[in-house]
Amino acid sequence: MSKKVKVISLMLAFMMMFTACSSSGGSTDEEVSPGEAEGSKEKVTLKIGLPGSYEVTSKEIIDGFIASHPHINVEIQEAPWGDFTSKIATQIAGNTMPDVWFQENATILSYGERGVAEDLSSYIESDLKADEYIDGLFSAKTPEGKIWGVPHGINPIALAYNQDVFEKAGVPVPTDDWTFDDLIEASKQLTIKEGDQTSQFGFIGSFSITNGWFPWIKQAGGSALDDTLTKSRFDDPKTAAGLQQLYDGLDQGYFADIDYLKANGGELEVFASGKAAMYFLQYSLQVNMNESFADTNWDVVKIPKGVDGKRYVPMVANTWLVSSRAKQESKDAAWEFLKYYLGDEVQDIIVKTGSTLPVKKSALDQLKDSTTKPLNKAAFTDGINEGGVTLDENATWSEWRILVQQVVNEIMVGNVSVEDGVKDIHAKVQDVLDSGK
Amino acid sequence: MQKQGYWGYIFTLPFVINVVVFLLFPILFSTYISFTEWDLFNPPRWIGLDNWVRVLNKHEFWVSIRNVFVFALIFVPIQTLMAFVIAFMLNQAIRAKGLFRLFYFLPVVTPWIAGGVVWVWMFNYQYGVINWVLESVGLAPVKWIDSSHWLMVISSIAIVQVWKGVGQSMIMILAGMQNVPKEVLEASQIDGANGWKQLTKVVFPMVTPMVYLVMILSTISAFQAFDVFLGLFGSITTGIPERNMVPNLLVYRDAFLLFKMGPASATAWLLFVIILSFTLFQKYFEKKWVHYD
Repeated sequence: MSKKVKVISLMLAFMMMFTACSSSGGSTDEEVSPGEAEGSKEKVTLKIGLPGSYEVTSKEIIDGFIASHPHINVEIQEAPWGDFTSKIATQIAGNTMPDVWFQENATILSYGERGVAEDLSSYIESDLKADEYIDGLFSAKTPEGKIWGVPHGINPIALAYNQDVFEKAGVPVPTDDWTFDDLIEASKQLTIKEGDQTSQFGFIGSFSITNGWFPWIKQAGGSALDDTLTKSRFDDPKTAAGLQQLYDGLDQGYFADIDYLKANGGELEVFASGKAAMYFLQYSLQVNMNESFADTNWDVVKIPKGVDGKRYVPMVANTWLVSSRAKQESKDAAWEFLKYYLGDEVQDIIVKTGSTLPVKKSALDQLKDSTTKPLNKAAFTDGINEGGVTLDENATWSEWRILVQQVVNEIMVGNVSVEDGVKDIHAKVQDVLDSGK
Repeated sequence: MQKQGYWGYIFTLPFVINVVVFLLFPILFSTYISFTEWDLFNPPRWIGLDNWVRVLNKHEFWVSIRNVFVFALIFVPIQTLMAFVIAFMLNQAIRAKGLFRLFYFLPVVTPWIAGGVVWVWMFNYQYGVINWVLESVGLAPVKWIDSSHWLMVISSIAIVQVWKGVGQSMIMILAGMQNVPKEVLEASQIDGANGWKQLTKVVFPMVTPMVYLVMILSTISAFQAFDVFLGLFGSITTGIPERNMVPNLLVYRDAFLLFKMGPASATAWLLFVIILSFTLFQKYFEKKWVHYD
């Protein structure tokens, strides 16, 4: 019997060792942070989380920060875009997350709601001049005035058009004065049918959110949520009208549908090869266009105006947030980093990469002299000044967006009518909004 | 002897630790969090039966259960039957037997990410090869996985799962068949049993334990279907219609996209109860047709 007890206690000892090993990893991590015990002369360690690594954030920026801030010891934690959310969630659960990192703005909002993000409003107020920045600086601001992060950059959409296709068809190219009706009309004119098959479409009828259903409902006077971001507006007939226009384009065959896009190499390929004349293009995709389709003769104009004569330019932001659980020294170091990031030097680097629009006005001005395609970059920059809107992002965005997308997909492939679809969406979205309160 | 026993415990310790840390603890912990509200970021908050009630009251949960039941009902018999037939054929004296076995086993080792892409293309309504074949023989094209009828979609996906899983089941049954003594087959032949009779009266009864095992494993894998759905639909964020949902997709979405660990755990536990009852149901009928002698 006593042997048995010995064996069991030995097993327990092994297990304790095992668990002790796993938890000690966490604590050393924490100890690495600011060296408060060693005195204030010790370097502050700043852990920066980089999703997508330096493909998204230039290494030049980080190196510049390290060089100009010798008292801050920078530790980079990289992970691919796709894995970053799960990595960070696990880290947060284990309290081992970086001090500062960036993710989609909507995700940041939910992190703020859950108490993980530091409210940066007081930092911004004391250290930044808001009028030097575009409104996008406040993409992560809640109706209550809390600011859960500052943008890594803004990624708006504009109407891209393939000049050769327009010239060949003898149709005048789009202008900034176009309305969505003009877009639909031109799409019909540019569509070429050969028997049952369509060899050229007027427009790419994407039904994802940013360059698909969201701009369509906004231009029709509708919206996903109301101004307070607490009520669904899918019961608004104008919202349904926007979805109906998108559906009609796909159903009647003057917008390229998802099957056609898949079969022909995707949205960029279809647009670049002239199989579709127009496309709502996100700013960041210009990099891919220039890399893969350098010979395509294309440019952009602003998104057409909506029925009320106003313009709505959907934009997505990736946002830096500071962990609210970091030590104060680390928070201060993180803010140093963000200040550096929002400064002239870095904002100029961001302009050059072309992967996102910077938020500082002076940096945006430099785009006027840009010689890379699309030449009319003002369509993006003036577009967001005139009518930049976020995707009705709130803390429950990730959840209600999935539910909307499920039904929108069904509407667009013709499995559900717009009328029934919006009823379904409205009930589901309102349910999520109510349960989130 | 005593000393040997002592070492036995030492050598099994890594396995015991593995079971405790990666199986027992998660099981107990998930039971606990199914009664809490937990977003991973803040400590769990006890809310009693709320998650269970909420999940049971959700339409999508019942839709997902319906789907997974129908999926299993289509998948398990087809897979078992096909695995049996293929194993019987490959057990004969045919040329290039090894090549055929490899051919049938290949899908098992094909990653879902590749298999999914291929099947999505084959199923494509406008450009897919299956509809192309149908149209070339004068039949109307079919909306395989884009259909508004859930039964059509679930059936199509069950076929894909058969493609993926039949190789493994076939190997198991084949192993059973190879244990059927040649003398028995020869004796049955002398007694006048040929072909069909030999298959049903001699071979089948002798491999019933393997067939039973294949059925149990297929049923469990059917109820756990996840990657086949994800492979064919792409990703949850791009919007899988509610009528095509299965419980594991809900668990994944709630836990890892929405950080709602409570409802995810409750759903997982409900799925466990269903799989257990279904397996016990199969076990109940085991004695009636499975021969172990």
